[in-house]
Amino acid sequence: MIIDELEKKLRPPELDLKPYPPKVITLASGEQMVVREAKREEIGVLLGTIHPLMGVAKDYYDIVASRIYAELLGWYRYRVANEFVLVGTIDGVICGLVNSRLVDKDTGMSLHTTAIKRGLRVGAQLFAAKMEHHIEILSQKEVHIVAESPIGFKRWMIEYDLENREDQYPGLRHELGGVPTYTLTTELYNAVREQKVTGTRPVDAALLATADKLKMPEEYPQIPGYKRGK
Amino acid sequence: MVDFSIYEIKEPEVYAYKCPDCGTLYYPVPMVCSKCSCRRDPSGVIFSSWEQVAMGGKCRLLTWTRVYNLPEGFDVKYLLFGIVEFENGLRASGRLMVDEPETGMELDTKVGVIKEIVGEDIHGFMFHAPE
Amino acid sequence: MREVAIVGIGHTVFGNLSEFDLVDVMGFASCNALQDAGILKERDLIEQVFVANVGGGIINHQTGIASSLVSRIGLEPAMAELVENGPASGSSAIKVGYTAIASGMVDVVMVTGGELMRAVTGWKGTDFVAMLSHPEAEYNYGLTLPAFAGMFTRLYMEKYGLTERDLALVAVKDHENGSRNPFAHVEIPCTLEAIHEGENAHVVNPYVAEPIRIYGTCPVSDGAATVILCAVDSPKMKHFTKKEPVMIRGIGAATDTHCVHNRKDPLELTAVKLSSEKAFEMAGLTPEEISFAELHDAFVILEFAISEEVGFFERGKSKEAVKEGVTKIDGRLPLNTSGGLKSKGHPLGATGVSQVFELVKQLRGEAEEGRRVKDPKHGMAVNFGGFGNNVVTTICSKK
Repeated sequence: MIIDELEKKLRPPELDLKPYPPKVITLASGEQMVVREAKREEIGVLLGTIHPLMGVAKDYYDIVASRIYAELLGWYRYRVANEFVLVGTIDGVICGLVNSRLVDKDTGMSLHTTAIKRGLRVGAQLFAAKMEHHIEILSQKEVHIVAESPIGFKRWMIEYDLENREDQYPGLRHELGGVPTYTLTTELYNAVREQKVTGTRPVDAALLATADKLKMPEEYPQIPGYKRGK
Repeated sequence: MVDFSIYEIKEPEVYAYKCPDCGTLYYPVPMVCSKCSCRRDPSGVIFSSWEQVAMGGKCRLLTWTRVYNLPEGFDVKYLLFGIVEFENGLRASGRLMVDEPETGMELDTKVGVIKEIVGEDIHGFMFHAPE
Repeated sequence: MREVAIVGIGHTVFGNLSEFDLVDVMGFASCNALQDAGILKERDLIEQVFVANVGGGIINHQTGIASSLVSRIGLEPAMAELVENGPASGSSAIKVGYTAIASGMVDVVMVTGGELMRAVTGWKGTDFVAMLSHPEAEYNYGLTLPAFAGMFTRLYMEKYGLTERDLALVAVKDHENGSRNPFAHVEIPCTLEAIHEGENAHVVNPYVAEPIRIYGTCPVSDGAATVILCAVDSPKMKHFTKKEPVMIRGIGAATDTHCVHNRKDPLELTAVKLSSEKAFEMAGLTPEEISFAELHDAFVILEFAISEEVGFFERGKSKEAVKEGVTKIDGRLPLNTSGGLKSKGHPLGATGVSQVFELVKQLRGEAEEGRRVKDPKHGMAVNFGGFGNNVVTTICSKK
């Protein structure tokens, strides 16, 4: 496609990002969750998956979903630089989504993490996969992290032993709120990798094929009685 | 008369208490001795408040655990705890300052800050490898 | 002593009910029980209410909860008191209700246990439960109930050769039963491969208090449960014709040292042994005659340890029984048919009442398909307070 000159002015310069190699994690229920990178062409399913959660006021789902929705559109329409999206799927149905972006080749800026399926630590697994992508696959040196949910964030702070970069504020701020940020460095990541990051690669071809066509969930535990409208 | 010794800065200790009648040691201290029924009055006015005996020294690790999910106020990834037995037979729970503990191992005891609350440092047992 | 029957039972879903009010949740379970007993309109038959709750004043900023519940469901002028015994509050409340009837003071008693622990963060919840421990010698260190369970499990593993796999087997069984219990907090079954054997297991099932893993501990839950008791010789029994009454045959309770480090033998749960002995004696039964049991598995290790302490299995041998499937729903001695605290959940004040709810459900033949005990005659519930320093055992039988 030939890109209009004016459009080119609005698009950010892009780094060439290595793709995330898919993996499969066996959740406690025995279900196999395939974790893979989402493609721009899949934007419809991604937006449709996130959309219902924008109306859930509990547990910060509304702000997280609304921001993810905007970030997905920003990624799709080339208005956000160097963003990637990972999804967790069970039989092709999206059960969780994480997104993030690279500031430059060394620095990551973690965006969001959301789990649709609850009670199986899907969010924790996908957050770890996100960090795996930043540090191991994309060879970044550090990732800046904050969160909307104070409780969720406190858990990451403690479990990952995140470095407090408050003293570099306001020079160093997290994009998500302009707040002082916490940072996961390569050293901190390596210290927890064994306990946090798991999954089998390569994914069996037949299993990976089930994740070829992403599907929106029909049920949301966060929204009792939900029915996807036609 | 003012007892000025109360202003002394003392080394923090954890105390066992000794029954004044039969000499049995207790940790932590009850209100009545289970051996001879001698009573204790914490104010020392009606009965004795019982003699304090500083605890510490060598001990043996009976069991231990590494706890990840800690209560409010302990914002660290994990803490190690153990139950030990001292040479005099008294037992206690405390913080374990050993990375790879083994039940039965010999330990030594320090008393350190185990918790900080507004206006107060709380001291307790910290068991460490013998120096 | 007068004979006491359970004539009505009620339960709410266990899970995250933090958006609701504590007494509303208790009221919901209470009304379920009143309907089950067929006396919702005639609820003025209730003369005495006992409420089991631990965290009302600390977490929910509410005290005088028994009085509050009475008004919430229009039971005035019934007598009402709160019973608090940590995680054993529920069974203690039933015990006190039993004695109120057995003494002749009243004929009909309602016992409701409830808790709303998820109104605060997990750290505050852990802190709240830890308040059971000795303030100076235990609580100040940041010791938690899981910490004590972890230390107990380590010793048990070293002495009897129990493995993490044995613990995982019981978690799988509990979740299987819980997945068929509509009230259970966690209705998702788990597989042995996923939580123990597979290569993802250590991440999917991480340590909470080594050597206990997350699938070796119960969730933090909200919920309530109710039982209604009536004296068998009372003329008021004529109102309770809707369901088959279940008899309370034996109750026993005992205490042990407050500080875990002062237990005579760190591997012995003396209060469990003594409370169950008393219950068996009162019921005139032996462990062999018990058809099924709810054993307080706030930590999966306790299902093993309690089953041995009450005499179901020899010390150290319960793991063999587990491996052989003896404690599964179709085994000789099904344990935690409700899913146990592990899968059903553990709202502190509700648990003891919920355990007896399950005994009644099974003895009435009303348990859901797939988790029904075959021909049960006598059921036993062991409700474990503190870390074993206050234990209450209840035995119920078909009439």
